[in-house]
Amino acid sequence: MKPVFKFIGVLLIIGLIVPGSALAVKEIKIGAIYPLTGGAAAAGRELRAGAELAAEIANNVMADINMSMAKNGGIKSMGGAKITIIFKDHEGNPTLGADLAKKLILDDKVDGLLGCYHSSVTKTVSAVAEQHGIPMINGTSTSPALTKRGFKWFWRTTPHDVWFTKDLFEFLVGLSGGKVKGVDSFPKKELLNIASACENSEWGSFVSALIKDFAGEYKFNLNKSLLYSAKAPDLSSEVRSLKAAKPDVMMFASYTSDAILMVKTLKAQKVQPKIIWGQDAGFEKPEFRSTLGDSIVGILTRTVFLPKVVEIKPVAGQVNKLYKAKTGNDLGGASARAFTGLQTWVHVLEKAGSTKPADIQGAANAIQIPGKELVVPWAGIKFSTSGGEIGQNTLGSGLIGQYQKGPDGKLVLEIVYPFDVASADMIYPFPQF
Amino acid sequence: MDILLSSIVAGLLFGMVLAMVALGLTIIFGVMDIVNFAHGEFLMIGMYTGLLTAQATGLEPLLTIPVAAAVGFLLGVLCYFGFIKFLLRGPMIAQLLGTFGLMLFLRNLALLVFGSEDRALHHGVLVGKSFDVGMGIILPATKLAAAGLSVVAFWGIWILMNRTKIGNALRATALNAQGARYMGIPTERMNALAWGIGGGTVTISGALIVNFWSVNPFMGLLFTMIAFAIVALGGFGSVPGAFFAGLVVGMITEIPGFWDFITYTFNLDWMANVPMTSFKYMWVYLAYFLIMVIRPRGLFGWKQ
Repeated sequence: MKPVFKFIGVLLIIGLIVPGSALAVKEIKIGAIYPLTGGAAAAGRELRAGAELAAEIANNVMADINMSMAKNGGIKSMGGAKITIIFKDHEGNPTLGADLAKKLILDDKVDGLLGCYHSSVTKTVSAVAEQHGIPMINGTSTSPALTKRGFKWFWRTTPHDVWFTKDLFEFLVGLSGGKVKGVDSFPKKELLNIASACENSEWGSFVSALIKDFAGEYKFNLNKSLLYSAKAPDLSSEVRSLKAAKPDVMMFASYTSDAILMVKTLKAQKVQPKIIWGQDAGFEKPEFRSTLGDSIVGILTRTVFLPKVVEIKPVAGQVNKLYKAKTGNDLGGASARAFTGLQTWVHVLEKAGSTKPADIQGAANAIQIPGKELVVPWAGIKFSTSGGEIGQNTLGSGLIGQYQKGPDGKLVLEIVYPFDVASADMIYPFPQF
Repeated sequence: MDILLSSIVAGLLFGMVLAMVALGLTIIFGVMDIVNFAHGEFLMIGMYTGLLTAQATGLEPLLTIPVAAAVGFLLGVLCYFGFIKFLLRGPMIAQLLGTFGLMLFLRNLALLVFGSEDRALHHGVLVGKSFDVGMGIILPATKLAAAGLSVVAFWGIWILMNRTKIGNALRATALNAQGARYMGIPTERMNALAWGIGGGTVTISGALIVNFWSVNPFMGLLFTMIAFAIVALGGFGSVPGAFFAGLVVGMITEIPGFWDFITYTFNLDWMANVPMTSFKYMWVYLAYFLIMVIRPRGLFGWKQ
């Protein structure tokens, strides 16, 4: 063979190899299915802005953000490949969500999925992803059942109701142990007796059962556990029954009008527990605050994200600044968790080094993102790969906030749990109504 | 012990309010032999009247009672002349189904006008206040006022029925409408008056109840059922019967409280786990059923 042909041959071989490595993937497509119109459109806008901001930070070098993904200008292990998000609107409709997922996978050829907020839509979309073997990361759906299906292509970063209820008991144990900011330790028996009242639809009954389980596990006495109808016009006999149980801790899972009625009745009946805790929902609604006013000072509620986090976690503050510049709003529960969802995608892709589903799957199962990288107040992200919950982040946690009066006389939710991000001294015991 | 006392007091207070709710039903039945299925809807309208008047004018909620009474009276009279009068010509079943239709109409009208969400009063001198009278008895100011005013209104109606000429005419119409007509009593107007009084008393109790209960367009049925139980227990058409039966039914709704008393007095753990509050109204309906089986004309009934 003439040397010139040899040379051409070598060039050809190099030509075949090079695009496969150095020139690799230039763009990674993530399909994000959110409720951009319909009843949850406001949340949808937040979700979209949160995910978009995370992609912006990942695709560019931003020195003033203390996150590893802000330093790389794309996915470093893939030669700086950029992330493109393709947004689709599921309108809160599970069937539409599944159709959109099929389109994204078959037509747009996305490398992975993100979404979908409503647990019901996440359920159908993740089933499509599972069928096609396309990885999906979920950041904002909290139905515990989603990670109990044994799916191999589904990972969830947000904690769910089981974790939130567990948090409460961790908090109670820590409270008597002196771990809460501003409260000295005291004997656990002062907090031993619990009474719970939950609304009687699926959500409330589920929380009620969880409280029962965890009370047993953490060795508290559940003296009374009752269910009531959220539509009940009067809760006085329920409240008197709770009062008769002489609880130290009162726990509620209530929607808006019943949460207000419950607290009003507790006040009228002069019930004096040491702790009043609500499982988010009604206890965090603006009406709850505006209707009941100062009488809710001292009440605790579970939540996923509070504006106070931004003041405590520097990295959340940096991201919040960008988010505010982009949208005019502060980060909220939906946007912060959507941001974290896409951020997890970035870390997983970085670790996988390719867009092959099998590589992504391996990387997701092995990923460990430290808490300091995140805007949410979690210990980090690490997915469980065995046991009853496959793909659930085991390092997430909720927040417990306490209504307190700010310096300007307005009611604010201060963080009292997790202990290391507490934003104020806790008011304990609950002040008299 | 404090559980028992507070339950008894709560039962009596609520019972007085319930008696007032049932009063209109028993008057209408007594005078005309018509069972008004729309009774609870009248109450619901009374609640909305009290709530909206208080919110719109900024008046103390208890001062809206005259407005509610006027609305109820007019509504009752209007229903009589516009609707019931024609039903009287038909068979008994037409009257039953007719007031049932009225119930559906009023409920859906309320749904159209007020929407389905719960509304509640959050202001007022008494709202949210309560008195601790010792021994574990807490008296919510709104319930105390409602119970007190119910008793006063009840007494007023009893005087009207038994000590006035109009009352005599009403009772005469009730006993024998044809005979009353021969005596020159305008029975048509007496019927309308019975509906007016019936509507007025129940809207008064609505304006009282809205001080401590939230209202939505669907809540009438609960009160219709409770009022039926009270009227059945007290005897159809009996005013004093309605009062005592109201107290009894008030105590029946407190069965969960008595249950708690036994639970914690004797430390019976299994009893603490029974969700008694979930079926507090079941006992009321059970009592209704038993009365119907054992003594259909009720404790004080004078009409067969």
